Amino acid sequence: MSFSERMLKIDRRIIFLVIGVCTLLPLLYPVGLPIRISPEVRSIYDYIEALPERSIFLLSIDFDPASKPELHPQAIALLRHAFRKNLRVVAMTLWVSGTGMADQLLKQVAAEMGKENGQDYVFLGWSPGGPAVIINMGQDLYTAFPSDYGGKTTKGLSVLDGVNSLKDVTYAISLGAGNPGVEAWYVYGKDKYKFELGGGCTGVIAPGLYPLLRSGQINGLIGGLRGAAEYESLIGQKGRAVAGMDAQSATHLAIIVLVAICNLFYFSLRQQQGRSEVQR
Amino acid sequence: MDTTILGAWMATGLTLFIFSFLYKDNPLFKLAEHLYVGVSVGYTIVKAYDTVVVHLIVKPIVEQGEIALLIPVAIGLMMLTRYMPKAAWMSRYAFAFIVGLGSGLAIPRTISSFILKQIEDTVRPLLAMAGGDGLTFSMNLLNPASNLNAIIILVGVTSVLFYFFFSIEHSGPGKMVARTGIVFLMIAFGAAFGYTVMARMSLLIGRLTDLIEFSDSSYGRPTLWLVILTIGALVVLGRRSANSTSQPE
Repeated sequence: MSFSERMLKIDRRIIFLVIGVCTLLPLLYPVGLPIRISPEVRSIYDYIEALPERSIFLLSIDFDPASKPELHPQAIALLRHAFRKNLRVVAMTLWVSGTGMADQLLKQVAAEMGKENGQDYVFLGWSPGGPAVIINMGQDLYTAFPSDYGGKTTKGLSVLDGVNSLKDVTYAISLGAGNPGVEAWYVYGKDKYKFELGGGCTGVIAPGLYPLLRSGQINGLIGGLRGAAEYESLIGQKGRAVAGMDAQSATHLAIIVLVAICNLFYFSLRQQQGRSEVQR
Repeated sequence: MDTTILGAWMATGLTLFIFSFLYKDNPLFKLAEHLYVGVSVGYTIVKAYDTVVVHLIVKPIVEQGEIALLIPVAIGLMMLTRYMPKAAWMSRYAFAFIVGLGSGLAIPRTISSFILKQIEDTVRPLLAMAGGDGLTFSMNLLNPASNLNAIIILVGVTSVLFYFFFSIEHSGPGKMVARTGIVFLMIAFGAAFGYTVMARMSLLIGRLTDLIEFSDSSYGRPTLWLVILTIGALVVLGRRSANSTSQPE
């Protein structure tokens, strides 16, 4: 068996180990590679930056703990920015399995920024129906969510002063890991009730959302951990996403090198086989 | 024991048990996998029961006398008649209601959002009018609204659509157009795969970040102890399975 053949049949656990080491080392010893801000992330930041104080900012946390590493840092960065701008934050989720996590993250950031529940923010929790909830909220927010996650009646909460439906929302962002998520918010929300919409998503679904971005159906897109790192850089509060960027670059480099080496061995093997056939 | 510390030990242990599958399939991985499925389903059932049955049905009917809610409750209950063969016909009405309502809501909105809006964005002018100066052509590839990008999108969309048009043979000039379509498809698949790799690596980074955090003495160093425990368990399990296969029947 030639060297190329042996390398192509290498135990895949060695590749796992290489990827693991390439991820772990930059996390233990960060280099601090520069992060370039993409226009799609900047446009969300600029839009929130331009909102007047006490505007209604709706954050739909449409993911569960399975997508936490990518979307949790996005949610934290967005909430920090919204609270710093003194926006009224209305949070909710369309994913029942994400309710506990969403409540915890909202409480954590609100406590850090000194914001009060019911006054500066509210977590509406989850309501059944998926996309139908968005339509329901567009007609009457209090029918879709008669009480918040803590059981308090939503009607009369000072954070919702002057808010009757989605038409009164100034800016909405859906952080989606699938369906229902960003697309559902556009189809059943923005397109019908005419509020501005931004999106945040996992890396897997980001390519599918770029057509919505180009056509102006969403005004910005935060894609995966990379997008979260860009947003953390923009607000000047670096967190877990920025910390993970060195590791992300290192693993990407490792994968590129592995793909190149694999191709090298593949073509060298083909060449060897071609030569041996000619000799025969 | 503090719940944070208990949570750290649980999270670390389950992460390591799941990662142990990378070495080979083993009972520790199975335990973590089944626990994940069970906890997810249990959590969803409890949350759905509390939100839907308690807060959206029972409380409004009992406390506020909203009798109209009995209509959706009846439709919902009709679905459960599928489990009773004699009354299963009633579930058809419930399903017909759901399918009819769902289609009525989804079809016009989806056509408007994903077909008409996307066609509108694809059919952009290839040359732009710039005030009184006449026609201009912007070459900036980084600007999604540039004329050059409009041409690339036009070529991409038409060639990919042609590639999926099977009523005529892809030969002569048609072959070239179909080949161009394949190139665009490959670029799209490559971009999607690149993003997928990034997403999967992000998940790994998230778990490793937690493992590093939980190696701190304030948590009792669960990472260190549980790595030793997991490796030890894998060695013992490996030896046991080796012994059982080597023993003659």
